[in-house]
Amino acid sequence: MTRLWAVVRREYLERVRSKAFLVGTLVGPVLLGALMVGPGALMSRQRGQPLRVAVVDASGRLGADVEQALRERRADGQPRFDVRPAGAGSLEERRARLRQQVLAGELDGYVLLPDGALERSQAEYHGRNVSAVMDISLIDRVVEERLQARRLLDAGLDPERVQAAQRRLDLKTVKLSERGEREDRGASFLLSMVLLMALYTSVAMWGAALMNGVIEEKSNRVVEVVVSSVPTTTLFAGKLLGVGAVGLTQLSAWAVVAGGFGLVGSQAAALSGLKLPEVPLHLLLFFVLFFLLGFFLYGALYISVGAAVNSQQEAQSLVFPVILPLVVGVMFFPVVLGSPDSRLSVALSLVPFWTPLLMFLRMTVVTPPAWQVALGLALTLLSIAGLTWVAARIYRVGILMYGKRPTFPEILRWVRHS
Amino acid sequence: MNTNGEALRLEAVSKSFAGHAAVQELTLGVPRGSVFGLLGPNGAGKTTTLRMVMDVLAPDAGAITVLGQPAGAAARDRVGYMPEERGLYPRMHVDEQLAFLAELKGLARAEALRRAAPWLERLGLADWRRRRVNELSKGMQQKVQLVATLLHDPELLILDEPMSGLDPVGMDVVRDVLLEAHARGCTLVLSSHQMETVERLCDRVALIHRGRLLLEGTVAEVKRRHGGNRVALVVEEGDPAFLWGWPGVLAARREGARVELDLEPGADPQPLLREAAARLRLARFERVEPSLHQIFVARVTAAGGTA
Repeated sequence: MTRLWAVVRREYLERVRSKAFLVGTLVGPVLLGALMVGPGALMSRQRGQPLRVAVVDASGRLGADVEQALRERRADGQPRFDVRPAGAGSLEERRARLRQQVLAGELDGYVLLPDGALERSQAEYHGRNVSAVMDISLIDRVVEERLQARRLLDAGLDPERVQAAQRRLDLKTVKLSERGEREDRGASFLLSMVLLMALYTSVAMWGAALMNGVIEEKSNRVVEVVVSSVPTTTLFAGKLLGVGAVGLTQLSAWAVVAGGFGLVGSQAAALSGLKLPEVPLHLLLFFVLFFLLGFFLYGALYISVGAAVNSQQEAQSLVFPVILPLVVGVMFFPVVLGSPDSRLSVALSLVPFWTPLLMFLRMTVVTPPAWQVALGLALTLLSIAGLTWVAARIYRVGILMYGKRPTFPEILRWVRHS
Repeated sequence: MNTNGEALRLEAVSKSFAGHAAVQELTLGVPRGSVFGLLGPNGAGKTTTLRMVMDVLAPDAGAITVLGQPAGAAARDRVGYMPEERGLYPRMHVDEQLAFLAELKGLARAEALRRAAPWLERLGLADWRRRRVNELSKGMQQKVQLVATLLHDPELLILDEPMSGLDPVGMDVVRDVLLEAHARGCTLVLSSHQMETVERLCDRVALIHRGRLLLEGTVAEVKRRHGGNRVALVVEEGDPAFLWGWPGVLAARREGARVELDLEPGADPQPLLREAAARLRLARFERVEPSLHQIFVARVTAAGGTA
């Protein structure tokens, strides 16, 4: 036991003390947060100067109306459009002139209301930058509103009364569970995704770390001294436990950072009307459990690959079949999240390679029957037992094999004869 | 503890890899307290044999007894092993490294660190205690490895090519340390293909070739049994040509004043000496002791291989 502990301790400390771990643990969540919040924040901030636009109206009935509406439209409390005169002349002359102005940078773009704009509900926007989706959708909405209002007037209806009658529906979604009900506006979906990705990333990342550790021990030959002192199973188990503990440490650090973000964020969120989801304690415990199961399952495979090869380059082709089931599992998330209790979802979540990801994913949205959870856990544990048995045999032979990378049949022979 | 028995016993041990027989029915005994040299050309099966002794590899057939117990977990803590391919964890500090490897042998961490200090002091590594192994020179790493092999005070030391890759100073350090361990009662088993090392260190040797035992015994025995019957004389005056046809002389060579004669096995050189002394003026007459190197080359060549 003390020897196993020595191995666990070494594996743990070597990684936790490394700079890469520190960077990954601290920078990881900051990067993730920045990726999620950043673009939106930047987009709304970078709106900057109002857009300089002109309106060319071929029909002659709508132009002034649209110009007026654009002038009045505000974004973040500021007028969004600086409406410039389109000038006089024929339609072609006006368009040619505006085109020159846009190309010269004096104007950002112009809106063209063609003949029959009202009947066919068509308009065009010509500008240098047609990727400013937020501004363009704003123009779309303004023009659409004006066209609709004009049609209603033409039909003898009062646009304001029609608008009042057409008020948009505000559908509240309330999550029902044994633990009571809670209003939810998409945050639950976000939580499921974040947790699933955290699981997937951790299993893949620390599995690969495990593999690289094995390759390193093998290539710098220290492994022979170690296995002459302790049984290979002790070293094998010590690696799984040590690196698993590193993964848990990092996840805990992320949870603390996320909690910190949450405290700051909840005030901002309260203002915007979005309620941050609370993560129930039982879900956190299952997260830890499923991380460990997934890590042990895939970790055993990663160790086998590490023992079979001589270098990380050689590992790349062998590691693909290890990562594949993991990636495929993640790709099932829309299916499972869409109907977590369907027969397909239940079946997928009971496949040992996917249980750690998909059973957990189901648990974030519904409460699966206890027998399903128990069955999933039992099957996964059995698979872990079987895989570690195989992997330990591959490991025992592989760590002392140098030279040519073994073929798959050769690896099978190791399993049978070691 | 039984100090009279054998530290190591191999009984008809065989091991093959993918159809290639690396070790074949090898039977060997290493008395306690001896310095035992396992000799053989590259690929003879030395490393495979030592790995089986350390239970890093399992033999296909045969039995191995280490310090009175079957090879494996039981005796491991009392054995120190230095593999041919040395290796340490590159990013670990020197003292962490030593403590870890000693813990694997069942030593408490604090005790390991306490024992490591005088070793590091003695080998000039005291200032490097808190440095990472990959900051050390190759020679220093070898010293750290040696300390790691000895820290748990083993009764049996298994050293695979202990002198390979060492400079002359390093070789002296290793030799001194090993002889000290031997003086404390530790049995040494070392493999080598460098005969000078073996001749200066070992009292018993075994020569293996292609996985099989060619000869075994004390160094003196081996020399007596396998050295042939050779004499040399240095002639000051006279013509030694009559020696070429002398009864019992198989071959003769002349190099300046020195003449070397191969005699028939078991032939007594005394009559020859008397005759030569009568007919020539001799500066010297001696029996030629073959070096282990010569025996080694002769035996391996005779067994059908290159040394």
